Amino acid sequence: MKLRKLGVFAAGAAVAFSACSNTPAATGGASKGTVYFAIELPQQGSEKAASDPIINGIKLAVKQAGGKAGGYTIEIPQSVIKDDALNGAHDAQTGANNMSQIVAEEKVIGVIGPLNSSVAKAQIPISNEGGLSQCSPANTNPDLTKGAPAAQLRKKANNYIRVVTTDDVQGPAASQYIYDTLKKTSVYIIDDTETFGKGVADAFEKDFKARGGTVTKRDGAPKTTQDYVTIMTAAASGNPQAIYFGGVTATGGARILLAAAQAGLGKVPYVGPDGINDGSATTKDSFLNLAGDKAANSYSTLAGIGTFDGKAKFDADYLAEYKTAATGYAAQGYACAQVFLDALGRAGATNPADLKALREAMRVAVTDTSRTYTTIQGKITFNADGDTSQKIVSIYSFDATAKDWKFETQVDYASK
Amino acid sequence: MTTVAVARRSPLNRAARIVAFAVIAIVLYDIVLFVALQQSWLTGSKALTGDHAFGVAIQQTINALSIGAIYALIALGYTMVYGIIELINFAHGDVFMVGAFLSILVTAGIFGQIPGADITNIPFLILVLTVALLLVMPATGLLNLTIERIFYRPFRGGSRLAPLITAVGVSFILQNVALVVVGSGDRAAPQVFPLNWQIPIGDAKISVLSIFIFVLAVGLMLALNTFVNRTRLGRAMRATAQDQQAASLMGVDLNQTIALTFLLGGALAGAAGVVWGLRFGFVRQDLGFNAGLKAFTSAVLGGIGNINGAALGGFFIGFTENLASALGYSRWSEFLVFLILTFVLIFRPTGILGQQLGDRA
Repeated sequence: MKLRKLGVFAAGAAVAFSACSNTPAATGGASKGTVYFAIELPQQGSEKAASDPIINGIKLAVKQAGGKAGGYTIEIPQSVIKDDALNGAHDAQTGANNMSQIVAEEKVIGVIGPLNSSVAKAQIPISNEGGLSQCSPANTNPDLTKGAPAAQLRKKANNYIRVVTTDDVQGPAASQYIYDTLKKTSVYIIDDTETFGKGVADAFEKDFKARGGTVTKRDGAPKTTQDYVTIMTAAASGNPQAIYFGGVTATGGARILLAAAQAGLGKVPYVGPDGINDGSATTKDSFLNLAGDKAANSYSTLAGIGTFDGKAKFDADYLAEYKTAATGYAAQGYACAQVFLDALGRAGATNPADLKALREAMRVAVTDTSRTYTTIQGKITFNADGDTSQKIVSIYSFDATAKDWKFETQVDYASK
Repeated sequence: MTTVAVARRSPLNRAARIVAFAVIAIVLYDIVLFVALQQSWLTGSKALTGDHAFGVAIQQTINALSIGAIYALIALGYTMVYGIIELINFAHGDVFMVGAFLSILVTAGIFGQIPGADITNIPFLILVLTVALLLVMPATGLLNLTIERIFYRPFRGGSRLAPLITAVGVSFILQNVALVVVGSGDRAAPQVFPLNWQIPIGDAKISVLSIFIFVLAVGLMLALNTFVNRTRLGRAMRATAQDQQAASLMGVDLNQTIALTFLLGGALAGAAGVVWGLRFGFVRQDLGFNAGLKAFTSAVLGGIGNINGAALGGFFIGFTENLASALGYSRWSEFLVFLILTFVLIFRPTGILGQQLGDRA
């Protein structure tokens, strides 16, 4: 049943498989050996809610591909599923250590993760040095791939791609929604002072001002902040019509919403990026779980496609496999795994001599800018920076009956 | 003897001086905020008009009193323990964290309150709060006492460094036990107080919750002050702080007195934990680290070992943080707090009110 769902990408794998069985080295179509896909995501605290669907998505994709590509057997052993939130929230230093360990494991031919841009910033130089393909299902900070800051991270040939679009699109999408759809012309902006949060808030602010909107105040509160009520009292003094939060649940998404309610801003729309779109109210530690009824006027964005051909089937398969609905970046995790499976098919066809050569062949295949990948999200290509051609941002609102995020609309920025 | 006699002669006078000082400080702060909020070059946003600025200034002052009260309650535990056995009890912030979790256990577990729902029935609200305080305060007090008995007492009379490092260890133990029991994410705490319970003063809306927090904290501090200054056990505490050996020779039971100090400090941290949940609506297992750091800073700022100093320091830190956040510089608030601490300690190495529990409490 599941094997029939190999999908389009399996064609590539099948071709590669038959190709290798024709070579003298291969013995009767047996596996060329076992290789690993590593996963690096925060798996404790609030961010567990965001990471679990991604891990499930990755495993589902590998399982549906029969656990094979390019003649290799693919495994995701627990030893290469690393957690960068050992103390409850993502930590760049832990992420860097994890990446060193992953790179050192020679069977690993690709790593999927991390969740947070600040962690990616610490990891990319390490995976790049090790020539290991890295695909992030959730990093949205533009500096990871574009311009001089990105060049600093990658001294060698590119190894990093991402299947989500960037904050210079995600921020403006939220801005456009607040200004055009919600018809709010003044906004208070607060970020968590981290790479991702500040970046997306900056992009939001720039776009909102360009549309003619007013920013009543721009503020920042690190995740160790104690007294959010004071900050939101100051926010309320500017009488904003909406609040934009740049950050994730673990760095204060729900705390700021609760404080806003205390300070009299409970009825003002509260809009955040993908960092607060981390599952329904029944998901432990998620934004909606912590915010409770106070989430009534909350909105969030995802820097990826919200509705796509085959979503119904994906949701059904996911539900059947994990007994829970696919949320957040589940499809993005699936897409990363699909890209890796496709690339492994092509890398395996070159018959690399050893695991080291395979890792390099894999990197070349993954970052091939001429390759059009057929993923669950649609057909995508990656440019030389590693960014996806699909620049779609989805908007979600809080559904008080289902106590979950409800898909509202999606905006395609590819042509803009 | 003479100092005690002098202090006894004019308690009202002294109380009046403290109240006058507090009122002047608060009014001054209010004026500073009122003026600052009308300067757009300073706040980086549209300047507020006079009435509006006045209202916001009052509201922020109340916020500062609330967070200051929480810091002060925790700081008292640091300062009392330091005063009596010269130990920086690093685990104290984590006792506060445990108190905050226990409070959720009471409000959500016993009374079935869900986060987000309010209690509008006043007698029931009073019942919930009373039960929460009456259960959590003794519990955290006993926890603190147990920590002293198991981890600190064996080191008494020996090296000062050993119990210090043990205290750091106990802090990690408490954090990790919390990690195992409740997990590492934010936990929603029932806030119980209806948000629309506000007293309008001009443009400002003062929430009843803030007033409750402030009154509770000041009440507990006054009770502690009276206890330390007016009772036999309090006198034993002061005597132990001044000279353990001499106190012991005069018939003071050292073990009992030190245990009592930990009990009281823990109970106050528990009270702070209860109001924390009501105020901010979330609790996290590593909450004690930062809150503890601020409270410890408060104690040092006021003069470690000095009970009044800890209270003063707590409010001082609360107001400093509030000033930064109120003007839109929240990302700089911690910087400002520690900058001020550094300068105060350069010019007054013993803190604002000086050290010594025995002399001043």
